[in-house]
Amino acid sequence: MKFLDWAIVAVYLVYVIWDGIRMTKNSGNVEGYFLANRSLPWWAVGLSVMATQLSAITLVGTTGQAYSDGMRFIQFYYGLPLAMIILCVTAVPFFYRAKVYTAYEYLENRFDAKTRTLTSFFFLMSRGLGVGVIIAAPAVILSIILGWNEITTIFVIGLTTTLYTMIGGVQAVTWTDVKQMVIIFVGMSVVLFIIFSSLPNSVSITDGLHLAGATGKLTTIDTHFDLKEKYTIWSGMIGGLFLFLSYFGCDQSQVQRFLTAKSVGQGRTSLLMSAFLKIPMQFLILLIGVMVFVFYQFNQPPMIFNSVQADKAQISKPAEYNALQSEYETINQNRQKAALEFVAAEKQADETLTATAKQNYLEANNQFAASRKKASEFIKETNDDKNFNDVNYVFPTFVIENMPMGVVGLIIAAIFAASMSSVAAELNALATATTIDFYRRHFKKEGTDAEYVKFGRIATAFWGLFACIVAIYATNLGSLIEVVNKFGSFFYGSLLGVFVLAFVVKRARARGAFFGLLFGIASVWIASFYTDIEFLWFNVIGCLATVTAGYLISLTVVEDSK
Amino acid sequence: MKEEHLKEIPEVTELPDSWWYRVYLGVIISNILVILALGTFAYYFSN
Repeated sequence: MKFLDWAIVAVYLVYVIWDGIRMTKNSGNVEGYFLANRSLPWWAVGLSVMATQLSAITLVGTTGQAYSDGMRFIQFYYGLPLAMIILCVTAVPFFYRAKVYTAYEYLENRFDAKTRTLTSFFFLMSRGLGVGVIIAAPAVILSIILGWNEITTIFVIGLTTTLYTMIGGVQAVTWTDVKQMVIIFVGMSVVLFIIFSSLPNSVSITDGLHLAGATGKLTTIDTHFDLKEKYTIWSGMIGGLFLFLSYFGCDQSQVQRFLTAKSVGQGRTSLLMSAFLKIPMQFLILLIGVMVFVFYQFNQPPMIFNSVQADKAQISKPAEYNALQSEYETINQNRQKAALEFVAAEKQADETLTATAKQNYLEANNQFAASRKKASEFIKETNDDKNFNDVNYVFPTFVIENMPMGVVGLIIAAIFAASMSSVAAELNALATATTIDFYRRHFKKEGTDAEYVKFGRIATAFWGLFACIVAIYATNLGSLIEVVNKFGSFFYGSLLGVFVLAFVVKRARARGAFFGLLFGIASVWIASFYTDIEFLWFNVIGCLATVTAGYLISLTVVEDSK
Repeated sequence: MKEEHLKEIPEVTELPDSWWYRVYLGVIISNILVILALGTFAYYFSN
């Protein structure tokens, strides 16, 4: 990175802290600090909703995934628009008109304090650990790219975000989210434009897309039904629907976003903004990954994108590593030649010639993929790292090695922005749930606004530090990330089930909701340990099990009025 | 305190449900079109 790049990153970090801190006005009372006095415009809330969901690992991981696996991942979002509509009809008016601060507070109005406390506790547990992972994942990548110590990177992300969230509250979170989304959009658009203009003169953008299409990288609809298949239209439309219903409707980090809107209508519009923009935005991010793949058809890609792991393996077994590298370079040159021949054949509009050239290109590409897989297996074995995967390093490495001065700084700032926007919303939500659902509900019912705001700031600082500590451990224990993700999926579907009972099932009672939730979590637990079902379906299982058990248990409750 | 902070926040008039249902229908139709466009895009460049 050059001086200009470092300057851009430094200016971004200083600006975001200053911008967040100056939002302290109107944050002195409890509604101002946690809900911005319900005064924010729909477009700011909508951008904040999108920024909260778009974490750094989504940004970096999605582009890497498109590079290696293509656009299949986009199907994950096909259920999102319908989920947003359902939430606009149910959750938004119910929560907004109930004047609640947290989604779980609504459950006390509908059921009892026990159900509220249990759901809020699950939220704190899963999100408290989850936010550590949200910090850890980009920190590991950025520390390698920037040459920083991992702990330094964790604290740069964690503490700067904690500082402005703690002082400015939800207004700081929302308005910095808006600016961070602008940085992300500008950065990604600039990268896409530069990739388009970096292709060889004889290769147009459509030629590049034909190359990607020939290798199956542009698949956006897979109608194959298989519960063990992660990304199909069915897992996206059904599993994704349940996941997004739970995430946007039951997770405080998202519910708090639309509770800050000026009215029910503005809250609805903020969610519908995602319904309109999420799939096109995800397409843009995936297209960048695909275009990185196209770019590397005509340039030498690194054999291993994680340079630290590559160096480590090369030092351990230099002869084997160099032999693999040499073979990889030869195969890449063959693929490059085959790609150019395929492009040239297509321009001649000769079907036989095109078919032969396409076949040669696909064979060369398969050889290339096999060579990279062989290198990856070598790293796993040499470095004794069974979980090795360099997909998340593809995009940052590409940017550092191929983007011009200034753009590198902009993209690193965009990765920081993506991480910080998610972390800020999570910390704010954790502090709100801790203050409203525990401190105010169980320990200090008659406190003043100043006391609750002060406690909210302390809670933000606590969760910020907790997240940094979790992040430090998460970088060393790869499996912890898996544990946290699994724990989150146990929680999401079942929690959605409790809200379905609250919104839809009139006969549902407190006992049914409480034990239904526990039954739902147990069902997902069993499904995860005794079947190979992919995680998106856990949300369906958890929700259905909770609703069924909750309803049946509710039938056993004898009404007092009788 | 600045003048705008002293102003009363105007009462918000919510739009009728029938209006929202038309918006939801628009969202569904536009997303079906987006998914079909993505499918067409993939088909065109893959064949």
